[in-house]
Amino acid sequence: MLEMRDVSKIYRTDAVQTHALRGVSLQVSQGEFVAVVGPSGSGKTTFLNIAGLLETFDGGRFLLDGNDTANLSDSARSKLRNEKIGFIFQGFNLIPDLNVFDNVDVPLRYRGFKAHERKQRIERVLELVGLHQRMKHLPAQLSGGQQQRVAIARALAGEPRFLLADEPTGNLDTQTALGVMQLLDEIHAGGATIVMVTHDDDLAQRAQRCVTMRDGAVQSDRARAA
Amino acid sequence: MEFGPILRSLARNKTGAVLIALQIAFTMTVVVNAYFIIGDRQARMQRPSGVAEETLFHLGSAGYTTNYDAVGSLAQDLQLLRSTPGVVDAVAVNQIPLDSSGWSSGAKTAPGNEHQSVPTAMYMGDHRTVATFGLKLVAGRDFTEADVRDRVPNMRGWPDKLMVTQALAAQLWPDEAPQAVLGRSVYIGDEAPATVIAVIEKLQAPWSGWSQVEQSVLVPEKLLWPSVNYMVRTEPGQRDALMPLVEEALATSNTQRIVSAPESMDDTRKRSYALDAGVSRILTVVMVLLVAITALGVIGLVSFSVRRRVKQIGTRRALGATRADIRRYFLLENFIITSVGLVMGAALTVGFNMWTVSALGFPKIDLAYVAGGMLLLWVVGLLAALGPAQRACAIAPAVATRTV
Repeated sequence: MLEMRDVSKIYRTDAVQTHALRGVSLQVSQGEFVAVVGPSGSGKTTFLNIAGLLETFDGGRFLLDGNDTANLSDSARSKLRNEKIGFIFQGFNLIPDLNVFDNVDVPLRYRGFKAHERKQRIERVLELVGLHQRMKHLPAQLSGGQQQRVAIARALAGEPRFLLADEPTGNLDTQTALGVMQLLDEIHAGGATIVMVTHDDDLAQRAQRCVTMRDGAVQSDRARAA
Repeated sequence: MEFGPILRSLARNKTGAVLIALQIAFTMTVVVNAYFIIGDRQARMQRPSGVAEETLFHLGSAGYTTNYDAVGSLAQDLQLLRSTPGVVDAVAVNQIPLDSSGWSSGAKTAPGNEHQSVPTAMYMGDHRTVATFGLKLVAGRDFTEADVRDRVPNMRGWPDKLMVTQALAAQLWPDEAPQAVLGRSVYIGDEAPATVIAVIEKLQAPWSGWSQVEQSVLVPEKLLWPSVNYMVRTEPGQRDALMPLVEEALATSNTQRIVSAPESMDDTRKRSYALDAGVSRILTVVMVLLVAITALGVIGLVSFSVRRRVKQIGTRRALGATRADIRRYFLLENFIITSVGLVMGAALTVGFNMWTVSALGFPKIDLAYVAGGMLLLWVVGLLAALGPAQRACAIAPAVATRTV
């Protein structure tokens, strides 16, 4: 599903070179729920950006669902992102001017689905996250937890091969975070593959596998005790 | 196409979009009406005068001594002019087309006050006037020497023969062919009638702004006045070189008169239409400035919109939008705003024109101008939005995961 071999990433400025990833190798299989943890500056977000095809890498190999991503054009990367990956962001990243329905619709339009199919998918995922009654609401009219549910619905609507979650509860209070995590558990139980980046060890404990990063490298990769 | 979501999004953030749409509407109203006025002025300026302008120049001779010999001077001047190498012909006339001053009168087909006269310019010149001016006769014959009578100062009445322009003939005898008006009588004022012996295709009056500028009469008269205008026709390409030579020759041949500076017919035309040309230039500057300001407004709005939505653009890219999708989004959004402005502008343009027609007597606008204006501003709007839209395309998808 997701296979990184010796992936490296260097950010360059005129004066400084920063090695954000140093030979990261990681494999995530179909149906796994993997948490990637580590302190700030450990390379978690760079890992997420490369895994989500949001950034390119400088060395190594990255296969996404069998596709070698090294030499893809920008358009091909966009297409692959749209079809294979569902993103859940820390700040929800909903478009404030669009209502819930239109927000979930965004990736589906880029996918080129017909209007009736988009409508069916949107209604189904909003039903799944319990917000089908709020389709016409604007993000500002929803609570933080509800906004993240909309973001999850948007990530699920295109039926991607896996979900990439970036600190999905980072902007939520404890109680709301718990609800969102329960929802992610349910989605995983339904067969979804999830890679979640977090600095919260408690949250990481809910995943099947916990990968710890430090200084741009994988420090440990442990399965959760049953 | 994200037509629906963009419309709904615009409806929630309408201030900037409405202001730009209003600016586009105002610009379109001014630009289209200005362009229409310029087109109207240009069409007026390009009307042919009927004379061979490129080979003609004119100059005046004004005797100022009490014993000035007008008859002798005329004969001597014409002999000098006609014998100058490079001069094809020359005549003494009372007025020059487009020169801004001259004679006018009223022409009618029957005597008496109950018959309404048609305004007309009155040209006087001898039997070589048609050839010198380069006039084209569409019916009838040229004057002969025998047709020409002498005209002394303060003399009343008109010769018994004359020529009329086609435009004047059409006013006097509507629906009659030029050939059919030959031999008809024309009354100038309350004088004895004159017979039409020819119809001139075109001979404009001296006043380019006159609504009856195409209506003229030419009568066969030798002007025995102390002050006359000489119209001189030259070989092609020799006019400009001959003008100072002729002026010098006339001035030295007779010192009892003042010879005015010669002027080519091209310069007479420019002088006659100077106001039209000036108005056209001012309106062109206004149009260009307005279009430029509107384009800058569009650039500003789209640039602001891009800066405000950096995170949103990154998120869209993360969710699968290609660079082309982002570019299309901003161009489509701008197209919608521009279109709303142009629809308002079309209504305003027509409304403004209706007001100018009724209040100022301007001509009614051709709707092709409205369509052309819309097309122009659509293109300007899209081109103006292209730069900021390109900058939006360059926003990386990784922006979506940045928290600051």
